[in-house]
Amino acid sequence: MELKTMPIAVEQTRGIIIEEVSKGHKLIQRHKFSQNKIEIGRDYHNDLILPDSHICPSHLTIEFSDGQWQITDNQTVNGTTVEQAQQKKKNADQHIINDGDVINLGKSQLRIRFSDHKVAPTIPFSPFDNIIDVLRHPVVLCLSMALFAVLAGGIFYLNSPKDVNFTQFLVSSIKMVLGFAFWPAGVALVSHLSKQEARIMAQLGVSFAFFNLMWFSDFLESVTNYNSASNSMLPIIVMMLSIILAFSLLWLNAYIGFQMSAKRRTIVAASITALLFGGGALVQFSNKPEFNPRPQYNATLMMPAFLMASSNSVDQFIEDSSKLFVKANEQAKEQ
Amino acid sequence: MKAFFTLVLLLLSHSSCATEQAEQLFNQLKPSLYQIKLIDKASGEKSSIGSGFQITADGLIATNYHVISSYALHPKKYRIEYLDTQGKQGLLTLQSVDVINDLALVKRDVTQVMPFFELSNATPQKGEQLFSLGNPHDLGMIVVPGTYNGLKKESFSERIHFTGSINSGMSGGPVVNKLAKVVGVNVATSGNAIGFLVPHDKLVKLYNAFLVAPPASIEQQMAAQLSASQEKLIAQIMNSPWQAKKLGEHGSIPIIDVPFIRCWGDSNADKVDALILTAVANCSLDENTYISGNFFTGSMEIEFRTMQAKDIGSNKFYHLYQQQIARAGAGNRAGKDNVTDYQCHHDLVMPENKAINNKSVFCTRAYKKFPDLYDVLYLSASIDKEKQALVSHFTIAGINQNNALAFTRKFMEAVSWN
Repeated sequence: MELKTMPIAVEQTRGIIIEEVSKGHKLIQRHKFSQNKIEIGRDYHNDLILPDSHICPSHLTIEFSDGQWQITDNQTVNGTTVEQAQQKKKNADQHIINDGDVINLGKSQLRIRFSDHKVAPTIPFSPFDNIIDVLRHPVVLCLSMALFAVLAGGIFYLNSPKDVNFTQFLVSSIKMVLGFAFWPAGVALVSHLSKQEARIMAQLGVSFAFFNLMWFSDFLESVTNYNSASNSMLPIIVMMLSIILAFSLLWLNAYIGFQMSAKRRTIVAASITALLFGGGALVQFSNKPEFNPRPQYNATLMMPAFLMASSNSVDQFIEDSSKLFVKANEQAKEQ
Repeated sequence: MKAFFTLVLLLLSHSSCATEQAEQLFNQLKPSLYQIKLIDKASGEKSSIGSGFQITADGLIATNYHVISSYALHPKKYRIEYLDTQGKQGLLTLQSVDVINDLALVKRDVTQVMPFFELSNATPQKGEQLFSLGNPHDLGMIVVPGTYNGLKKESFSERIHFTGSINSGMSGGPVVNKLAKVVGVNVATSGNAIGFLVPHDKLVKLYNAFLVAPPASIEQQMAAQLSASQEKLIAQIMNSPWQAKKLGEHGSIPIIDVPFIRCWGDSNADKVDALILTAVANCSLDENTYISGNFFTGSMEIEFRTMQAKDIGSNKFYHLYQQQIARAGAGNRAGKDNVTDYQCHHDLVMPENKAINNKSVFCTRAYKKFPDLYDVLYLSASIDKEKQALVSHFTIAGINQNNALAFTRKFMEAVSWN
């Protein structure tokens, strides 16, 4: 009956996991052991062999006794230290291991986990994953890049003062596609360099889908500018749309490319959006000359099919214009 | 042959006679002629030069406004000095200006009664010989004979057309007839011996007004003159017939029937590969009132443009059309010390007759030194035809609010499709 006491049962089921981690505590490799004594070192008799020249051939031993794992440093050249959460490094010899301790030996780090370590709850697939899966599908990706190319070429055609032949159209749209592909490719490269999965197809799919949405928001902005008077708030509301789109794209880029908490991702995306728009506005403001001899007005014109608003009378226009004189007089007095 | 020699002899004798006459006149008038110099106080050097002539025994001297304009606007920065033909120098004080006719009265201190120029009381005959006096390019006082050729045609502010070479530095110098009476004041040249003079009656008027009441402040006097001038100009424009004229195939534009607004036209009908057929009519009041070196006012430009798409769709046509109207600019030169930034308003506008639907822009900027004077700019683009467009545009410099709005209203209602 004594053999069945609880401590022994626990002892037998409590496995130990030794994780090789990077300096930034990123997981490199994971080893699970079930024996009560583990030898770690550089030579080949060890249970865990670490090819680090600053580690001794028989560097340390981890042993289970009295329900605890204890480290023994075998009088090594460079010693062994242990770092615990929010504490300074201390000598690891005779240290009783806690779950999550990181042991430094030579230039390597080992993190210890016990098999009863609590893991985070399972994250269900988010709707974003489903959307991303659709967008990264080769057919969908090709379609959205093709749409982008046609739109880019179309805009080139519309703005060109001369006749445009098919080759010019093709060259300009391919140039635009390649130019805009730099962004998702760059993000994928950065995630690859930071030891994360590049997921280039997903980045391309999401980015081009959003670039197309941005064309649409541009178009919407033109339509509102065309249809509204200078004292209307509508164009400002539509401009918000492009800010929201930029934020969403950056958020998804981060979601695909980098593992980080939702809060951090939101902060990163919001900061880059603020930098893009706020920084742009700041540069414009700082470059604004003290005096501008040219009038600044909005001359957006579109074909009559996009005309939706009804026109004002000449009387109304004259009345609205008369308010400008008051503003100009105020400015004249200020200076 | 004999007749030829007689003719040559006659001509020679005539020209030698003119030379003699000029010399005689010059010697007679010399004591009342001055070079006017504007001296920058800080550097002590001259910043501009011109000519002037004494018109009263007590030292009142007439010159051009533009010769002393820097002093009129920044009296603390400059002082005005004269240099007479004997080399004597002295200080001058600014008494009165006529900024519209580019005249100014300055005064020197005199100890005794001095000789002066008499102002004529009759206008010269066409072809009459006149003598222009002044100091061109600081080379010394000279006399230039020339011919009176009437008043400049198609001009809002009157100017005498003088055939004779007037050069810079002679500005403000007198032009006299054979009786040594002043009939005009040198003011401008357009090269090739075509010169312009301010008629003497403008000077008489300025002098008489000065005798009645000298101005309280030069700035206020200028503001009043600018205001009165635009009032007169706009009244004349508003009361003249505005004739509807066809532009392009379907545009109907107003041509204001006053002699001082002249129109020019152009089109790209000869360009075979152009995507848009364009016809332009430009009308302008070819006059500038000089206020300072970088501030002109009083000008007016009107432009109409029709566009017709050739082989392109409506969407492309409107894209190119937008580029055409994206960058309208001011019609006059002005800097940040003179005017504010433009304030603009845009809207979709349809006149009551519903003959056209436009996107219209109105912009204005205020003058900092002269109250209730503005530069205005109007630009309107038709948006109701798929492949045709009519652009109407004007700029007016130095106009008050009421006149600007009244003119804009009339202009907006006069442009349409026919």
